[in-house]
Amino acid sequence: MDEALVLLAGGDAELFRIIGRTLAISGMATLLAMLLGVPLGYALARGRFPGRTVLLGAVNTGMGMPPVVVGLVVWVLLTRSGPLGGLELIYTREAMVIAQLVIATPLVVGFTAASIQALPPQLPDLLTSLGAGRLRQLWILSREARLGLLAAVMAGFGAIISEVGASMTVGGNLRGSTRVLTTAIVTETSRGNLPVALALGCLLLGLAFAVNLLLTLIQQRRNG
Amino acid sequence: MEVAAEGLRFERGGRTVLDIAALEFGGGSTTAVFGPNGSGKTTLLRLIGGLERPSAGMVRIGGAPVGRDPASRRHVSFAFQEAVFVGGTVRRNLDLALRLRELPAADREARIAEAARECEIEPVLDRSARQLSSGEAQRANLARALALRAPVTLLDEPLTGIDRVTRVQLLDDLPRMLATFAATTILVTHDREEAFRLADHLVVLVEGRVRAAGPKASVYARPADRTTAELLGYTVVRAAGRTIGVPAGAWVLGEGEPGFAMLVERVVDMGNHLHAVGLADGVRVDLRLRAGEPLPSPGERIRITARACVPVG
Repeated sequence: MDEALVLLAGGDAELFRIIGRTLAISGMATLLAMLLGVPLGYALARGRFPGRTVLLGAVNTGMGMPPVVVGLVVWVLLTRSGPLGGLELIYTREAMVIAQLVIATPLVVGFTAASIQALPPQLPDLLTSLGAGRLRQLWILSREARLGLLAAVMAGFGAIISEVGASMTVGGNLRGSTRVLTTAIVTETSRGNLPVALALGCLLLGLAFAVNLLLTLIQQRRNG
Repeated sequence: MEVAAEGLRFERGGRTVLDIAALEFGGGSTTAVFGPNGSGKTTLLRLIGGLERPSAGMVRIGGAPVGRDPASRRHVSFAFQEAVFVGGTVRRNLDLALRLRELPAADREARIAEAARECEIEPVLDRSARQLSSGEAQRANLARALALRAPVTLLDEPLTGIDRVTRVQLLDDLPRMLATFAATTILVTHDREEAFRLADHLVVLVEGRVRAAGPKASVYARPADRTTAELLGYTVVRAAGRTIGVPAGAWVLGEGEPGFAMLVERVVDMGNHLHAVGLADGVRVDLRLRAGEPLPSPGERIRITARACVPVG
């Protein structure tokens, strides 16, 4: 930890850039996962359509999907010779956001579906009868399910800020471009630079804790 | 505002839940849709409220068809069987309902105060809605629906799930509450007493079809068929080649016309009076014994007479 404090106190520009990049990539992936996952989770919780149970099963499976497998699939899609190779996204931050989005979305969908299903089943009917449109309903139900939704954010963000397999595979761990805290830890470990690796690990934990503490404070304050 | 169902059919899982050729609810009337569990009562209410899409036909409110768009539900307020609330106080729940109907803040406050006073929930207005007793919750549920002052008020089993004392109080208070706030009211119930005490019109629904509809006195005076008669509380028997309905309490001990032989199964002590229960004409009969009448024994055959009856069918 001393190493990390020395780097931080010394104003190590690359370290600050890595922290900023880590937060930006995982933050963007979490935001997109929320935008995609909350309506999907709501539809899965409330909708009655053929294949819904199979879809819920798939989402639950996705919640435990190994990041390295996600990374591999995204790499196959984005690599120069892959079906989406023309987009030239491989080894970019955008590719890392996509991979992290794939990891976080099932978690957000699953947590959202569970929290919406935990609400009184007649609540959507009540809101419909009162004249609330779909968006207004989604907003009111999201407020009612806010504990579960904030848990979804925490689960999604927690999963992707700490994953290394997908980021390494699709980002390439390029210094100054796609290196994030987890891939930096791998790099320093492989170089035998264990004190720095440990220091970065502590930083990562501290960062994850700070973000989750902030979300927990919001969750508990609104609940109080 | 009048409500009309035209060629209304609703199917679920390949089964016809509701099939109504034509049915009208007059503007300003209070109608009880009455029938056994699973007869399609709540489905009818949900179709009127625009919460379900009919498989065929339509519902019109004030001549305009009910659709799934929020605007077409503006004429309707719905009190669900189970009192459901969003988190927060009773006041917040009433306010949310009024906000969704786009009432200005000053009007909302006045409406909440009025509904709270009439529905007697003033003491619990600032309490958490999810921590109310069942009776308080049902009053808050009704207050929320009535505060909207919608032209059509739909009540789904408004007195279900509450204790007996509260139910009796609410049964007394509800007509006043409806008179204050509601114009056309349609309530669903499987309870005969509720239907007769709260409504001026009756719709008898059995297996998704209307068996009888009209002012309650005329529906009661001439039950359309055996099932309707039994739902209305008649004991249906055959006498002199015709089917008649004998109202509850109209059986008396002794010879007379129309008279029947009754095989007594048991005598029930109700505390302040006795009942003889048995079979007459193959139908279960409940005979209230008056003071001084001889006490029959189980297995004994006695003669009984229907003091009043109506034709059935």
